[in-house]
Amino acid sequence: MTERFPLFSRCLSVFWVVMVYAFLYIPIIIFFIFSFNNAPFPAPWVGFTLHWYRALVYETDIWVAVGNSLMVAMSAVLLSSCMSIFLVFYAVSRSSKIKGLAAYFYGNLIVPEIVFAVGFLGLLTMLKVPLGFITLVIAHTVLGLGYMVPILYSRYCELDYRLLEAAQDLGATQLQAFFTVTHPLLKPSLLGAALLVFIISFDDFVLAYFCSGTTFQTLPLYILSMLRVGVSPIVNAFSTLLLVLSGILVIIYSSLTIRNRIF
Amino acid sequence: MNLLKKNVLKKIGDEAMPFALGIPAFLWQILFFYIPLLLVFILSFPTFSWEYFTPFFASEYVSVIVRTVLIALSTAFFCLCIAYPIVYLIVFKGGRFKHMFFLFLLLPFLTTFLLHIYAWMFVLERGGVINVLLQSVGLISEPLHLLNSSFAVIFVMVYCYLPFMILPLYSSLEKFDKRFFEASYDLGATWWQTLWRVLIPLSFPGIRSGFFLVLVPAFGEFAIPELVGGDKKMFVGSIITHYTMGAQTASLGAAFTLLTAFILLIVVVAVYGITVKIFKQ
Repeated sequence: MTERFPLFSRCLSVFWVVMVYAFLYIPIIIFFIFSFNNAPFPAPWVGFTLHWYRALVYETDIWVAVGNSLMVAMSAVLLSSCMSIFLVFYAVSRSSKIKGLAAYFYGNLIVPEIVFAVGFLGLLTMLKVPLGFITLVIAHTVLGLGYMVPILYSRYCELDYRLLEAAQDLGATQLQAFFTVTHPLLKPSLLGAALLVFIISFDDFVLAYFCSGTTFQTLPLYILSMLRVGVSPIVNAFSTLLLVLSGILVIIYSSLTIRNRIF
Repeated sequence: MNLLKKNVLKKIGDEAMPFALGIPAFLWQILFFYIPLLLVFILSFPTFSWEYFTPFFASEYVSVIVRTVLIALSTAFFCLCIAYPIVYLIVFKGGRFKHMFFLFLLLPFLTTFLLHIYAWMFVLERGGVINVLLQSVGLISEPLHLLNSSFAVIFVMVYCYLPFMILPLYSSLEKFDKRFFEASYDLGATWWQTLWRVLIPLSFPGIRSGFFLVLVPAFGEFAIPELVGGDKKMFVGSIITHYTMGAQTASLGAAFTLLTAFILLIVVVAVYGITVKIFKQ
């Protein structure tokens, strides 16, 4: 098709790309525009104002929720990355790799979150544990382990084992070999997986709904309550802020890593 | 003798530390993952009978399950149809800007998932942007009833699960050896033939993992149907939530969860089997 109809296929490609990007960015753009609208939410354009951004700064509930989400996400990332590094170290120190170690952890991704949430809630009510920050962190760590262990372990299996052998031949103990050889090689995957777990935990809604109890509110729960009650452009302003922040982070990240390849 | 003992102890100590370090992950997993799953199983059979399962064979629950399965399958299918061309274009025709395109493709999804639902609610509703636009242009005379329907649910779900399809497809197509294209053209195949006989079979693991990465969470989803699907309890997730968060109905919730997990397993195995048959991989 590309040889017989070059112009057509090129137009089609451009059309498709434009359509998909438009589909992806329409809500974002609408959010952006309407966060400056001088009228409460679903209303046509009235006038430009920064009133909602000012109101956003004073709205304490949302910032408390954001703080909670950040704390939970950080703790979950920390816990799961420590535990998975230790697990990989354990796997490393055996002379033969444990076949299918990661398979024990695949279940975390395969089982739908809601099934896990129901079971976890059942466990907590059976043990009469009060729901709150700690229970949510535990749940998110389980999720995090499910992402980190397979990623780290498969990355480790792709490493050249001769590097480790060489290190030990040169006199390193297992611990030293791990820290000076394996760990730096695993670090990119570790950071990538940690970022992934952070985003997933920050965004996670199902587990927060089931396991965080009534007093502890994370950001998705806050947004859900706003959606049910009645929205206000403060949420628009917040999401625009979030998007600008993510955009800046993405641009910084890309300029650090792909600077050689684009410009 | 003392030296021997010291060496043996050192060896054991050397082995013990990694073992001690490896334990927390396993303990955590067993305690907080496998036991809850077991608990779901146990809770649904408190009296060793099927009594908590029988209410769910009524027709309205069956229709909910069927609807959920169909919507999840169509979500995965549409995600695939939308994502595959764009990833193909980015990877093979992107040139120098490949990474930038990819990053900008994923950028919208860095904001919270719920905000996207909120945004589409705003766009699709009666007084929302689409209707206002179409009315002002004159294409329709009264607002389209887009929200609170299956269409809205599928639409928003495709939007929210697109990155889960894009990522595996991208990593799978990135690894694709471009020389296969050249070889195929050299042997006389057209682009269309190459697509169906070379590219898709070879990128099939990526397609399959993307498909399941969308299908399984979409099946258990309950935020989207609750917010854009209307008041009726149309999805498996909503019913599970309703029963589990209710006061005395925890066992019913667990039973229904188990039932739907089982059905999901059957669906996944069926899809996997069908794809293996078709593509012989």
